[in-house]
Order: sequence, then C-alpha cells, then structure tokens
Amino acid sequence: MGDGAGALERAAELLGGARLPVIGGLLTDIAGAQAALALAQKLGGVVDHAAGTALTRAARIRRETGVCAASFGEVRNRADVVVILGDAPLDQDPALLDTLFPPHDGLPRPGNAKRQLIALGGRKPSAPKGVPLTSIEIGKGGLPAAIAMLAAGVGQRRFAFKDKSLQDKIESVADKLHTAAFAVFVYSAAELEEPVLHTVLQIVRDLSNKTRAAMLALPAPGNGEGVNLCSTWTCGLPVRTSFARGVPVHDGWLYAADRLIASGEADALLWIDGLDGKPSALPGRVPTVVLSARSGSHRRGDIVIEVANAGTDHEAALYLPAITGIGMVRPSGQGSGKPTVAAVLTRLSEIIDARGGR
Amino acid sequence: MLILLQGGRVVDPAHDRDAIGDVFIEDGRIVAAPTDGRRPDATYDLRGKIVMAGGVDLHSHIAGSNVTLAREIMPELPALAAAGGVDIAPSPATWGSYATGLRYAQMGYTTVIEPALIPTHAIEAQIELAAIPIIDVGALGILGNDDYSLGLLRGTGDASELQDYVAWTLSHAKCLGLKVINAGGAEAFKFNVRTFSLDDEVPDYGVTSRAIMRAMQKAVTDLGVPHPVHLHCNNLGVAGNADTALATMEAAEGLPIHLAHIQFYGYGKEGPKGLSSAAPRIAEGIARHKNVSVDIGQVMFGQTVTISGDILRQFDGRNAANPKKWGLSQGEGNGTGVVPYKYRAKSFVNAVQWSVGLEIMLLADDLWRVLFSTDHPNGALFVRYPEIIQLLMDRNERARWLERLPQDAREVSNLAAIARELTYAEIAIITRAGPARLLGLQDRGHLGPGAVADVAVYVERDDKKAMFEKADYVFKDGRLVVRDGAVTEVTFGRAYHVAPGFDSKIERRVADFYDRYYGAKVSTFGVPDDIAARPHRFAKVPCQS
Repeated sequence: MGDGAGALERAAELLGGARLPVIGGLLTDIAGAQAALALAQKLGGVVDHAAGTALTRAARIRRETGVCAASFGEVRNRADVVVILGDAPLDQDPALLDTLFPPHDGLPRPGNAKRQLIALGGRKPSAPKGVPLTSIEIGKGGLPAAIAMLAAGVGQRRFAFKDKSLQDKIESVADKLHTAAFAVFVYSAAELEEPVLHTVLQIVRDLSNKTRAAMLALPAPGNGEGVNLCSTWTCGLPVRTSFARGVPVHDGWLYAADRLIASGEADALLWIDGLDGKPSALPGRVPTVVLSARSGSHRRGDIVIEVANAGTDHEAALYLPAITGIGMVRPSGQGSGKPTVAAVLTRLSEIIDARGGR
Repeated sequence: MLILLQGGRVVDPAHDRDAIGDVFIEDGRIVAAPTDGRRPDATYDLRGKIVMAGGVDLHSHIAGSNVTLAREIMPELPALAAAGGVDIAPSPATWGSYATGLRYAQMGYTTVIEPALIPTHAIEAQIELAAIPIIDVGALGILGNDDYSLGLLRGTGDASELQDYVAWTLSHAKCLGLKVINAGGAEAFKFNVRTFSLDDEVPDYGVTSRAIMRAMQKAVTDLGVPHPVHLHCNNLGVAGNADTALATMEAAEGLPIHLAHIQFYGYGKEGPKGLSSAAPRIAEGIARHKNVSVDIGQVMFGQTVTISGDILRQFDGRNAANPKKWGLSQGEGNGTGVVPYKYRAKSFVNAVQWSVGLEIMLLADDLWRVLFSTDHPNGALFVRYPEIIQLLMDRNERARWLERLPQDAREVSNLAAIARELTYAEIAIITRAGPARLLGLQDRGHLGPGAVADVAVYVERDDKKAMFEKADYVFKDGRLVVRDGAVTEVTFGRAYHVAPGFDSKIERRVADFYDRYYGAKVSTFGVPDDIAARPHRFAKVPCQS
C-alpha cells in the first residue's frame, strides 16, 4: 500500500524501468483509455482490457468478414423476430427482454406480424407479457451444432440430426426467420466462439438477400466496447495491441495480458479498475500498480493509487447500450474528491518524463 | 510578436490578389502592414514561393463511429494503399486520429469538416475530432432518415417544429451544418426497399425524398445557418443518375443546396456499355443553378474503403467489396455501410469515374461553387490531393494518365478534349476560399487583415504533386507548425459549430421521444463544452437570422 505522491513515484519507477509493461483491466472511461494508450505508447507497452477475449474475437470477425449489426433501438422498435442465443445475453442483462419488448407500440416497422421471441440454447426465459416465446433447449455444449443446423435450414441445405425432434424445431425456426420482416440475433461474443459467430453472420447475410436481418451483441462489460473503439481511432487497432516495436501491432493471443504475465514476457502490470460493476480478477503475479476506485481489488505488495469512479464520481464518456455507442454520463452525487484515471495517468507520464526513464 | 512573410507570390483570390508581396501576422491573425515603422520580430524570406491561406476541406470522413467501424473492418487499408504506390506509412495507425492531423497539416490544410456526424453518436465523433492535432474542425449532423423528422413531416407538417428540431440537433451535437443522406432512402431500407429515388415515398410515413429535402432546406435557410443543406442525393453510383442530380437541382427551387461528391452522380447511359460521362450536363446544370454548390468526390486508382450513411446503396454495393468483406450497422437515422473498394485503372467503370470528376472541375464556369474533395476515403484517400491538383494544373499529366486507361473508357470521356489548366488562384478557390465562404467561416480561406493566421507556403515547382505534397511552411493561428514538409509543433485546434435558437418546448418533446422509443436519455448524447478537456475547444459561428 502506498499513499498519494509516494505511490505515484514508485509506480513511475516500476513502469518507467520495465522491459515490457502491460496496461490491463482498462475498466475506465474514454479519457482514461486515451491516457492509458498514450502511456503505453510512451513506455512501449501493451494494452489489454479485462474483456479482451470477447473484444478480440469480435474484432477478428469484423476484420475477416465484416459485420451486420443493428442498434439496440432498431431492434427494440423494428425487429419482429428476436432470437436470443445461449445464456450469456440474459445473464449479463437480466432486464434485456423487458427493454427489447416494451409494453407499448414502437416506431413504424416492416410487416405487421406480432413481435415474437425465440430462445435458442439457453435456459427458458420468462417472456414479457403478451410476447410469444419459442424456447428450444439444447444439451450443454450443443449450441454451436444447433446454430450450424439453423444455418443449413436457412440456406435450404439438407441436414440430418440424430435428435429428430430437435431437428424439427430448428427447421421451424428457420421457417420463422424466412417469413420474418426483420429478424435479429442477440448474443454475447464472450459465449460464442469465432466459428459460431461466423455462422451467425452468414445466416444474417443469407436472410438479408431477401428480407432484413441483423445481429445485436451485448456490449462487453467494463466499458470494453468504448475502450476498444478508442484504441481503434487512436492507433488503428483494437486492444491487445503492443507498442513495443514503435508501430502498434495487434495479436489477440500474443498480447493477452494474462498470457504475457504467465509466460514472464511482461515484467510489470498497470491494472486500471476505475468503474462500478463487477470487479475483474487480476492476472498472475508480477510487480503491479493498481489504480483502484474500490477497496479490496488489489493484492499484497501492489502499489495502489486510489482513483475516482468514472460516471458516478465524475462526468465520463462511456459506451451505453441504449444508444449502441459512446455517450456522456453525468454523476448524480457529490463525487469522491479522488483524481480521475486520466489525471493519474497523465501525472504518472509526467513523472516518468521527468525521471528521464523513457 | 509580429511575423513578416516576405516576398512570396501571394495567391488570395478572395481579394483578387495574385502578386509578389508581403503578409503580416500578429497574435494569431493576419494584420495589415504596420504603418508605424515597427520592425517584425521574425521575417521569412519567401522568394520563389507561393503563399496561400491554409487549406479548407469541406467533406472528409475523419471521425465518428462510422469512420471507426471502417477502421475496425480495414486496419490493413494503409498497408494495401502503400503496396499500390501511395506514399503512406503501411501501419494501421496511419489512418488514426493523430496521423490524420499531421498529414493534413503537412499538405498545408488547416481546417477540415467531418461531413457525417450521427447525432446519437455525437460524443464519440467530437472526442475523435478533438484527438486530431493541429487542424480546426467542424461537423455536419445527419438528419432526414430519423423517425423524429419523418414523424413531423408525416403529421400536420408543422414546419416550425421541424425547424426547432434541426436547431436543437445542431446545437446539441455542436455541428456546423446539416447533412442529409439519400433522404428517406435509409429509412425505406429498413422496410426492405432496395432502390429509392427523388419521388419515392418512405413506407408508412408516405413522405417523398423531395419533400424531406425541401423541408430541411427551408429549416436551414430560415434558421440562418450559413452552410446550406449538404445533400447526398439518391441513386449514388448508378448509370444514368445525372438525371437524378439535375432533377435535385431543380427540386431545390432556388434555395441554397450543396450537392456532395457530385462525381458519383455524373453518369450517363450512353455508349456500348451503358455508362458514359455526363459531366458536361452536370457542369451546365451547376452553371444554370446559382443556388447550387458541389464538391467533387474525385476518384483515384488504388485501394480505399467506402463509408456511407447511404446504407441502401452500400448494401447494394456489397458484392463489389475488395477485399471481400463488408459491414452494415443499422442504427437510428441512417446507420452506416462500409465496403472496402479498389479503384482500378484497367476497369472501364472506374476509369469513367476518374474522368467524370476531373471533367466537372475543368468544365466549371464558377469554381466558387465547384469545390475540391475526394469524399475521403470514398473516392480516394486525402493524401492523394496533391496528385489531383497536378492533374488539374497540368494537361500533359492528364494525357499520360489517359493513356493508361481502357480504350472504351476513353471513348465515353471528354477529358482529352479539355485543354484547361487551373491556375494557382483557381486552386486556391476550390481548396480554400470557396469552401470557407460556403461554410460561413469568414475568418479563413483568405489572407485579408483579421483572418486567422492559417497560412501555407509552397515552393513553386513544375511538378505540382511534389509541390503540394509537402508545404514549405505552415502557420496555424500564427504558429509555425510545419517546416520543410515536417511537423515542428503539435498543437490542437478548435471545433466550429452553429447554435441556432429554438423554442425550448422541443427539448421536452425530443426527451420524451427518446425515452419512449429508445429508453435513452438525450443528455447522454449532448456534447458538453469541456468534452476535450481543453479550454476554448468550441467556437460558435453566428447564424444570419
């Protein structure tokens, strides 16, 4: 533990002297992300986010194939068939179905079919009042196979599955998708592996040849989408990017914070935890600086610098699901009086400069 | 501090000035020569050099969620462009915010307008813009496919509420003007409509593209917003669409309108392949309609990526993607379509496109209304401006390019017959004075006393590409930021916007609308003054009413 200036000095010494520092967690607002990216560039370090696995997966799909997305608002107002894939969407946002199916009419939408919900491969959800629900339960680990079957059904390619009853159900979902005016798949990139995401995207593209269809991803927690967008406009690449070679280089496996620490390649960690919400576990043991807005999110021996909570202690730009983009959140309370992540990182950078470390 | 730029050829068409002379700078502004015999604190000997106001780009996609979606899909864009011979570092960072500002400054540009700000994503766009160094910026906010506007137009047709809504949107998102993209077409696409023209109706709403455009023109004109409605017409890229562009000019009925990237509407249907240059008809239409201004959207051969709120058109273009990947993001209002594209000199279609843009510029009778752009990155990356300037100023260079083109393309082009070579003064009109005037940015685009001291100095050369690629000196607000083509100081500029007044009742109505239909608070996408954590980031441009 350390306090104020002493901790900053020791943090600057550790990070400024590191061979390959990793800036991880990145549970912070856009200003914090900008400061973290600037520091990573200065130090020749790596940036990763606590939700880096899902973010990197989604980024690779975009890079390899593209995207067919709809905003939350479009889905809420216009989708007549909403397909929830797996358990993760409702685990992450238990109120999701109520916000997607408000109890009043939405904006003008294509077709006049009653809006309906299909749950594929997750627990049976409780549908909002008056919303027809088709729930297709699949054994553990069966979701990728079910989605592959659905792709075959939508593409009118023949397939046979040993469970005839399941096959029939999936074929009936394919029929519903074909007759839908605007079908949307809701999913989390944390739950679906890359090949499965490719398959869903292909279903959407097949449908789009004749009707409208799209995907809606649950945003990565901890402002993951916001930090990832910020990384992209700043250096052209998503998180899990290294600045060690001067120009930024991205690799979702090579530059994962936990792997770099486990392998010993990284010799210092700057962990940023400046948001409300679920805490993330710190990756392995390595000399660590923690910027923390909550107590108890650090370990013995870590250099700890307390920071304010973005969005609750101070105004903050964060990724907001309702607008499917970055918005501004204004605090309702008085604030904690603690410095922002951006302010601490900027100060840290100045101290490192003054020490001539880099 | 008094700075003297001495003995250069001063090209300042806003003041009909094109002669050897001096320019004085003090406290960030251009000033008249001191009459009290005061000696300058610094003098730059500019003999043999051309002195112009800093460049003003009125249509370049440099920031916002739409641009960053394209960055996500195409991180390899700089590498592919570089492999094709474009002078650009082959790193994904090259089309990030930071590099964008430096490269613009190196070319002598000091003001750039992002022409497609999505109002609900204004925070991201303005934060991205603030991350671009050196240049001043402004953004055009997109309306016309959003359900609030369409709901008003369907209803009682209360023009005053639409006017309030436009004013509120521009103020809320801190925009310099209004952009309308394929009016009604993006909304129609949500109803699975795949083509949309001027008199087609948006399903359910029953409003035509023409009616949307007219209502928006009226709102912007009545509000006194200096920049006219910045319109992306229907039928972009379709053979025969010169008819659409000309019909749109007529539809404006004399009210000011700016037609963006007009090259993409300069196509006839003649010739054996059913595609020809309609540049002469377009040029004639612009000449006849004094209320019309255009920017070109010049195409250059090489790798790029197209980014557009014309989601209907982008969906239609998906099969031409190169590399074979594409993105659609269907959102509030227009949404975004991203389609990577490689213009090829050996392609008949691409060669015709290349020719059409140059023809329209070279056939213009009033260059103050025919402005320079590539619709970056849609027609070409902005780093290619110097090559285009060379083509405009050098007919022999055009002839060399024409030789590389397919014979059938040359047969439907008029370029070989055009002898005109633009002068320095004309280049200054289409890249500085014209855009500044059209945007209502009265303090730039010229070198008169009182103008902001944004000045670009170029070494005069026969090779105009080399000349305009790297400015010899660039002053931003009177500070030297580029010397010998290299950035010497990284500064940060301002964002210009209008703030037209509105009846405050609109705030409650819009808040209720977003709450009911989106479950969103409008305060989350209102742009605060301190968004960049820098003082004086925003500057207001007055409205004329």
